[in-house]
Amino acid sequence: MPVRVFEETVLPHLDAAFNYARWLTRNDSEAEDVVQEACVRAMRFYSSLRDDDARAWLFAIVRNTWYSRVSRRANLAEAASLNDAQDEWPDHALDPEEQLLQQHTVAIVRAALEQLPVDFREVIVLREIEGLSYKEIAAVVRVPIGTVMSRLARARERLLTVLKLQAPMETLR
Amino acid sequence: MNCELVERDLDAYLDRELDAESSTAVREHVSNCAACGRQIAQREALGKLVRGAPYYAAPNRLRARALGQSTRSSSGRRVVTWAAAAVLVLSVGAGMSLLRTASTPQATIVDEVVSNHVRSLMVDHLFDVQSTDRHTVKPWFLGKLDFSPPVADLSAVGFPLLGGRVDYLRGQPVAALVYQRQKHTINVFVSPERDDVSASGVTRAIRGFNVRHWVDEGMSFWAVSDLNETELIQFCRALETS
Repeated sequence: MPVRVFEETVLPHLDAAFNYARWLTRNDSEAEDVVQEACVRAMRFYSSLRDDDARAWLFAIVRNTWYSRVSRRANLAEAASLNDAQDEWPDHALDPEEQLLQQHTVAIVRAALEQLPVDFREVIVLREIEGLSYKEIAAVVRVPIGTVMSRLARARERLLTVLKLQAPMETLR
Repeated sequence: MNCELVERDLDAYLDRELDAESSTAVREHVSNCAACGRQIAQREALGKLVRGAPYYAAPNRLRARALGQSTRSSSGRRVVTWAAAAVLVLSVGAGMSLLRTASTPQATIVDEVVSNHVRSLMVDHLFDVQSTDRHTVKPWFLGKLDFSPPVADLSAVGFPLLGGRVDYLRGQPVAALVYQRQKHTINVFVSPERDDVSASGVTRAIRGFNVRHWVDEGMSFWAVSDLNETELIQFCRALETS
């Protein structure tokens, strides 16, 4: 990839790439490594950028990079959660003590997001934080749009439970 | 539309992914159904909360590394670009001597200037001497270099001095002086002018950085920054006239 193209297509989305990687990995330095490696791949696989959506394209590369790093390291715990995320989540809300410790709403939301299985976490992040459409998410995650929709629905159900948002609505409005 | 159908389409509705017709149907149902209305409200509240979650911006270090890596992998291509530029200069009437000077040495030194700049930001090694006082910075170079670089106090015009260090250009030790414009760092590499290769007074944009070179009183200056061209020129003028 010519430097100029790299600067114009990849660098503008570096924040988004890092944000996504940070939510995937839940770790600053791991996210940095993932994005750096993703940049190398982006340079190499530049010809696979077909349409104008460089951001979704970069997300897909970030995601693949992370997956291959995880499997390379045989990180069993994380890999397991990738494969059968559907049924293995612990069915409990943040416990009251934890809630007390984390009075700050942002911290609670972050913790709730981080405890979601990665398949659900990433669709929430791509949809709510990065504002991707279902179609774009489907392209990044490489699943049908219907699956994106059902993962989002289940992720939200999950978050509603964890965050106890079924509480009286007045407090939320 | 009944509750069951609405529940199925709830997320798509809120994400504005439903077609207009279904969307209207959901809206109509919700306005008459308290239970579904509550579900919508819950999800809207959740969306608001989640969108307030931390956004992790890329650290500067990562940005610098990404830039550096894009450069390494395509430096060969850029030499070609510069060579092409040199041919162009030649064709618009410059002397034959330009070909010799402008083809590679100029290209590699501009590249080196940018790389030095990137590296100084990347490894957090901006200064060996950190001071806004030129009377501290200038004497620091004594005994480290065989020349004394001019050090200016430009804080009055918005370019405060941050410090300095010894760096290398073309294999020679040079004085690197660090100035600042708001959040932008400016590196100025100063050394005695050793050859007549100069494209003084030209600003070049490389990898998102602006580079400017000039010669003054036997000293060669290379200024590099991510600052925009206008402000970099303003900075260079201020330095030249200080």
